[in-house]
Amino acid sequence: MKSKIFGVLQRVGRSFMLPIALLPVAGLLLGIGSSFTNPTTLETYNLTGIIYEGGIFYTILDIMSKAGSAVFDNLALLFAMGVAIGMAKKEKEVAALSGAIAYLIMNTTISALINARGGIEAMAENSTTTTLGITTLQMGVFGGIIVGLGVAALHNRFYKIQLPQVLSFFGGTRFVPIISSLVFLVVGIIMFFVWPIVQGWIASLGNLVLRSGYAGTWIYGIIERALIPFGLHHVFYMPFWQTEVGGAMIIDGTLVQGAQNIFFAELASKSTTQFSVSATRFMSGKFPFMIFGLPAAAYAMYRTARPEKRKLVGGLLLSAALTAMLTGITEPIEFTFLFVSPILYVIHCILAGLSYMLTHIFGVGVGMTFSGGLIDLTLFGILQGNAKTNWVWIVIIGAVYAVIYYFLFSIMIRKLNLKTPGREADDEETKLYTRRDVEARKAAKQTGDITSALILHGLGGKSNIADIDCCATRLRVTVKNPAHVSESHLKKSGASGVIRKGEGIQVIYGPQVSVVKSNLEDFMETPDSEHPERIISANSDEISMGKVKEAKNIGSMTLVSPMTGKVIPLESVEDDVFSKKMLGDGIAVIPSEGKLYAPCNGIVESVFDTKHAVNLKGDDGSEILLHIGIDTVKLSGKYFTAHVQNGQSVEAGELLLSFDIDGIKNEGYKLTSPIVICNTEDYGEIKTLTDGDIRKGCDLLRLTRKEND
Amino acid sequence: MKTFTYTIRDEVGIHARPAGMLVNKAKEFECAVTVHKDGRSADAKKLFSLMGLGVKCGDSIQVEADGTDEDAAIAALSEFFEANL
Repeated sequence: MKSKIFGVLQRVGRSFMLPIALLPVAGLLLGIGSSFTNPTTLETYNLTGIIYEGGIFYTILDIMSKAGSAVFDNLALLFAMGVAIGMAKKEKEVAALSGAIAYLIMNTTISALINARGGIEAMAENSTTTTLGITTLQMGVFGGIIVGLGVAALHNRFYKIQLPQVLSFFGGTRFVPIISSLVFLVVGIIMFFVWPIVQGWIASLGNLVLRSGYAGTWIYGIIERALIPFGLHHVFYMPFWQTEVGGAMIIDGTLVQGAQNIFFAELASKSTTQFSVSATRFMSGKFPFMIFGLPAAAYAMYRTARPEKRKLVGGLLLSAALTAMLTGITEPIEFTFLFVSPILYVIHCILAGLSYMLTHIFGVGVGMTFSGGLIDLTLFGILQGNAKTNWVWIVIIGAVYAVIYYFLFSIMIRKLNLKTPGREADDEETKLYTRRDVEARKAAKQTGDITSALILHGLGGKSNIADIDCCATRLRVTVKNPAHVSESHLKKSGASGVIRKGEGIQVIYGPQVSVVKSNLEDFMETPDSEHPERIISANSDEISMGKVKEAKNIGSMTLVSPMTGKVIPLESVEDDVFSKKMLGDGIAVIPSEGKLYAPCNGIVESVFDTKHAVNLKGDDGSEILLHIGIDTVKLSGKYFTAHVQNGQSVEAGELLLSFDIDGIKNEGYKLTSPIVICNTEDYGEIKTLTDGDIRKGCDLLRLTRKEND
Repeated sequence: MKTFTYTIRDEVGIHARPAGMLVNKAKEFECAVTVHKDGRSADAKKLFSLMGLGVKCGDSIQVEADGTDEDAAIAALSEFFEANL
């Protein structure tokens, strides 16, 4: 159990790498951009002459700042999608879509509930935020992570689900966004009631800090770091920075409340001889571990990575370290080890707390705009002079911190064999999957594998496949050499048809194709897929007995009207052959326009020589006779024009025939046109979906296959 | 296995209506019934494949019955062709 949780956490950690790779760049943009568009900074250093609102430098910096914030403001969404992608076993793109949708729905649900309660005014201060234009609870990255994990779990459970026939269109991967939406609607409701309680606990922690002196500063630092992954740090530190919780002071005759406000008021005041440490104790502690500690931790991770991986992780770690150092944006480094080894994060929190306490003890008075990087240290520490700020202590504490972080991280990583970047065993993930695959394969019907083996062999083996995709009814494959494709094997796998267009091969399975595709992709990851012909020869009896038909003969398909006109029941057709259903069940249309279109995707089996009827083989295996008029065979093709040829693949709505209604009428023939399902015996139900007037392309018949035996 | 050859006289050939009638006739028997034309063949119990042969007036076809009741089938089918096609 323990190793399982560990394994899951490691995968979560790895799944973070995709969004994390973006953070350093975003962090630099935000850090540099926002520092030099901050009015206080500009005024303090008399930069307003060069950088002013509307000017070119300001605009460029503002764009950098906004572009960077776009990433940080939407970090939760990035994690919702990124974690879903990382944790999904297959069909990762579907998990990404589902993650985005679930995240939107969860927040929208919360938003609606906030409105119902009376808007954000009715909520606790700093407990709400706006994400993607949705007013919601401040949940930080945590909100995205629960979505990512939840969606991935739903995805892995349901992406191959087979639904009852009438709903089969919504099965497989299409089911994942649907179920994710519904589940996270409920999660949103739950969060709305649960999260504010958690936020309340955090806020009350603030009182503890104020009453405890140096220890209080230490606790403040620990809590602030520990809450970052949950997005709860804002609820916690904002009161200190912005309200009387962080202190009140009269500066130049004005009452100023909140630690950050006090610092900037003192910065602006000419009478300040030393910055108030009682205010900066909630800020200065960030500098030592952000500028020195975390970059040293990054170096430790680099050194402990396996030599052959160092180059690879070096770029990530270096840029993450630089970001923390320059801008004080630490998420890129912190998230690198947070989930891979929570224990390292715990140590980091304790050390961060100590850093706050030490700067408090040594009377460091350096404030910040939003975080503790070199930029802020330079502007609000070094340039203010050591007399006012004691900034030198930051460097001294920092130097010690760099050593501590480096050795602690190195030792911990080696001792506990933590899988920080560049230390993952290459085969670990594969091994995990394979074992599960083996179990799944044992449980699954053996015929499923045979089907996949037949398909794979039919497509010329794994090496011949460049790409696999599917549409509503067809497996669409790009092969490297079409000559290696064996239609007979594909047909044996349950395909009702094979269409070749150069290197593009379409194999027709009907609505169940998405399950066929998923099974095939699973199969291709197993060692067996190197030699599909072995499975085929081992199971040749079952194949020749036609037991392998899992893929077809299930599900339902809707035919759209092939003509514009009036729908009448087949029984009302003035011809016994049709009305008594000698040819099969179906329906008839009296056309008002002389055009016949394909009612579904399929293959033209044959166009009658007399061009008055077409046999169409639907992608689900249906055999559809489209017959224009009664006894019109006797016209020998007069008034009819065919637009398709035998064997041609058509899509629903494609023009098949055109005919001259008046000409046919004037010759004395009725235009009543039966649409007959010749293999009616294969269907459990053939249901008429409409009556009266109909336009071409509207739903006409639903064909539901008999249950598979 | 029994066969007979027949040349279509009906001017419109085996179109939908006669094909349907032929299928119903063939289904009365247990044996497999196959229609051959110019090297192509169709299961006479399957309307779709039969229509797909596109048999026209003047075409010569071979009807083949294979199974327990093939004699009866051949007799009934040749009677059917004479009467209808």
